[in-house]
Amino acid sequence: MIKKFFDWLKQPLGLIAVGIVFLGVFSAVAYGIYLTQQTPEQPIQFPHRTHVAFGIQCLYCHPGASKGPAAGLPSQAKCWACHNQIAKTQTSALLAPLKDAVINGESIQWVPVAIVPDFVQFNHRAHVAAGRNCEECHGDMSQVDIAQNPQVFNMGWCLNCHIEAAGDDQEKLVKLSDCGTCHY
Amino acid sequence: MDLKISEVKLSEEEVGKWGMVIDQDLCTGCQACVAACAMENNLSFVGEEDAGYGRSMHWIRIERFWEGEYPEVKMTPHQPMLCQQCGHAPCEPVCPAFATVHSQAEQLNLQVYNRCVGTRYCANNCPYQVRSFNWRDYERPEPPPNQLNPDVTVRRRGVMEKCTFCIQRIHRAQDKAKSEGREVMDGEFTTACAQACPANAITFGRTDHPESLVSQLAHQGHGAKHLEELGTLPNVTYFKGG
Repeated sequence: MIKKFFDWLKQPLGLIAVGIVFLGVFSAVAYGIYLTQQTPEQPIQFPHRTHVAFGIQCLYCHPGASKGPAAGLPSQAKCWACHNQIAKTQTSALLAPLKDAVINGESIQWVPVAIVPDFVQFNHRAHVAAGRNCEECHGDMSQVDIAQNPQVFNMGWCLNCHIEAAGDDQEKLVKLSDCGTCHY
Repeated sequence: MDLKISEVKLSEEEVGKWGMVIDQDLCTGCQACVAACAMENNLSFVGEEDAGYGRSMHWIRIERFWEGEYPEVKMTPHQPMLCQQCGHAPCEPVCPAFATVHSQAEQLNLQVYNRCVGTRYCANNCPYQVRSFNWRDYERPEPPPNQLNPDVTVRRRGVMEKCTFCIQRIHRAQDKAKSEGREVMDGEFTTACAQACPANAITFGRTDHPESLVSQLAHQGHGAKHLEELGTLPNVTYFKGG
């Protein structure tokens, strides 16, 4: 029975069938990986491009970055401080979720884009204090609408920068390449 | 054998960075440290059945021993037992995945959860029996998840865990001190167990700073370290009958 099946596979038609199955599995895997690299669906199609073009600093909406571990996502109150003075907010369909959120007193369910796993303890403050600019990790926000990750936040990428930052300073290298600096 | 002893003596001169002093005469065995540790470090509650199998998860426990023969049985002072953060730790060389490593920066024994593959070799090799293993993904009682400490990883099934000397608090204090352009001061922060202790039996701090409270207490003379003869260089000093 099994021998018959393998004999059939060796025929041209069988080879084509094997090829189709292989291509199917390959493209399914590729599509799965592609899906994990997409920016998530956001409640509001927030255009970073426009806001950066107005000259708004990153730290205005994400003030936690210079103070503590988390940069923070702005609440609707922060958006509304500017937007209630803009006539377009009342009419635009894209801004309707913001208007509804303010009227109903509900928070906007932003989906974080730049995330690290639970076992990584990341502190924005230390990185900002070390002179890193936002765009070095998060990309140029004046070029995108919804935030995108320009690279995968994996450990090799973190460590490369840490070792580079330490330079010849042995004490700094020990601190920056220590497991306990990020994992605890 | 001579070589072994000389090695131990040589490394005895090394001083760890962070240390703890536990005064067993002050300890009342109230278990406040055990509860505080569980809250601070997102410990799982294993439940009755798994506790029966000896799978309880505690990073600190209160040990009790009995001395003498019946009817003259006497209880020894309560003995809080936690990871001794050995300078020469038996758990470290046995890990095949390098998940338990020695932090060069903080001089602590680290457990890197994302590296751990769950061989449990480290726990078998720990002479203090202070490591606990996540046998399951345990359910957390209501109200989750707001009770979880965001600074500490929530461990999943199949990884080993143990006391970290509240390394998240160490990092937070260091970060705060650095942002204010100063060094971490003695007594500025402490571990969850030391903070919760109503009798102040636990003192935590820098052992490499001679003026800190913990190193002054540790050098009072009658302090003892557990299983020191194994050459583990523990960083926790115990006082008893002082």
